[in-house]
Amino acid sequence: MSVLDIDYMLGLVPILLRYLPLTLQMAAVGMALALVLACGLAVIRVLRIPGLNAATLLFISFFRGTPLLVQLFLFYYGLPQLLAFLTQINGITATIMGLTLHFSAYMAESIRAAIVGVDRSQTEAALSIGMTNGQLMRRIVLPQATRVAVPTLMNYFIDMIKATSLAFTLGVTELMGATQKEAAGSFLYFEAFITVAVFYWVIVELLAWFQRRLETRLNEAYRR
Amino acid sequence: MLKRIALTALVTGLMTASSLTQADEHAIKVGMSGGYFPFTFVEQDKLQGFEVDVMEAVADEMGIEVEFVTANFSGLFGMLESGRIDTIANQITITEERADKYAFTDPYVYDGAQVVVKEGNEEVHGVEDLKGKTVAVNLGSNYEQLLRELPYADEIDIRTYESNIEQDTALGRVDAFVMDRVSASQVIKEKPLPLALAGQPFSKIRNALPFRDTEAGRALRDRVDAALTILRESGTLTAISEEWFGTDITTP
Repeated sequence: MSVLDIDYMLGLVPILLRYLPLTLQMAAVGMALALVLACGLAVIRVLRIPGLNAATLLFISFFRGTPLLVQLFLFYYGLPQLLAFLTQINGITATIMGLTLHFSAYMAESIRAAIVGVDRSQTEAALSIGMTNGQLMRRIVLPQATRVAVPTLMNYFIDMIKATSLAFTLGVTELMGATQKEAAGSFLYFEAFITVAVFYWVIVELLAWFQRRLETRLNEAYRR
Repeated sequence: MLKRIALTALVTGLMTASSLTQADEHAIKVGMSGGYFPFTFVEQDKLQGFEVDVMEAVADEMGIEVEFVTANFSGLFGMLESGRIDTIANQITITEERADKYAFTDPYVYDGAQVVVKEGNEEVHGVEDLKGKTVAVNLGSNYEQLLRELPYADEIDIRTYESNIEQDTALGRVDAFVMDRVSASQVIKEKPLPLALAGQPFSKIRNALPFRDTEAGRALRDRVDAALTILRESGTLTAISEEWFGTDITTP
């Protein structure tokens, strides 16, 4: 094999930068929606709301039990054969939906664990001084649960950013899709894929830095 | 805070959903992989190749716009079926199964299936030597079918790939790959991979544009066919072929 084609790699950087916003947008929107959905699911599980609890269990079981790629293909290619109006959903929206549903199933469980993990004596103390259930959640349980949930939720966000690389199978040219096409045109596979690997790596490192800062802030009350 | 993020997300999501392009009488949506040199490939972020030139000429002749949609090859037929694209310009070979399911135009490329090996491979000199060998083909392509129809198909270890079969052959992970003769020759000539043609093409193939087999699909197919006929007679197709391949692949 010839030596590394550095010029080619440098030339790829501005091209790939054009596709970075789409990758980040899909992950950010997916994460925000997944957080909302996961909180809802977690609360249903914690309070064991009749009926909804069983539906939530089924939802989590399905979206955690099947590969994301299968779910994406199912939504984008499979369901429109049954329900024609679903072809209205474009690749980007389908990817965001897939990421949201898939990751919310995982996140619901880690949020639930964080809520359940808050010591029961705290709940009893809050209720004994006359707090309502809502106040108990808002003032006592959730602030503590957030601190516990943040590291695992960030983990899922990191995973989700990388999972956007599946979008090219739905015709969305994001970071990975752009790289694949460039590699197919130049046949410089190593150069192309190592460049995109560095792209993902840098994004994730930036996030990890943000996470450290966030955790320091959330831990302020616990510092000795 | 969380509420605001959620709301923003929801709004963005809805906006993405509503900004999608509707079916348009004045444009034809053409799907391709963007990863099949020199038919459809990307260099410096620019989609180009034989298929791109042909489809632009066709749209020009029809007096409409052309919109290219790139996706992994295995996703293209799903996009056609679900109405997200109108046709696929990716050297789609007319096979019996596909002809039953889709409305094809007349062929615009005549080609052959070719065995390609790593340079210096002394064992494989053609399709008859593939017995007991590992052979790569693209997922969903007709070359897998062609290999399975060989009398000694049971003895060939056929591996289907999403992409990058040239690279895996050059790396020696498989003994050979099968692709069309034209692009195989082009890859060997122009790209830095140590590959060589093994023997003569072993099967004739005819490539055309598939449309959905519905009233609207067939109507569009007829209009495209008419444009292709004009381009064939005016010598435009031949000119595009000469430009990319130095030879005319658009006639039998």
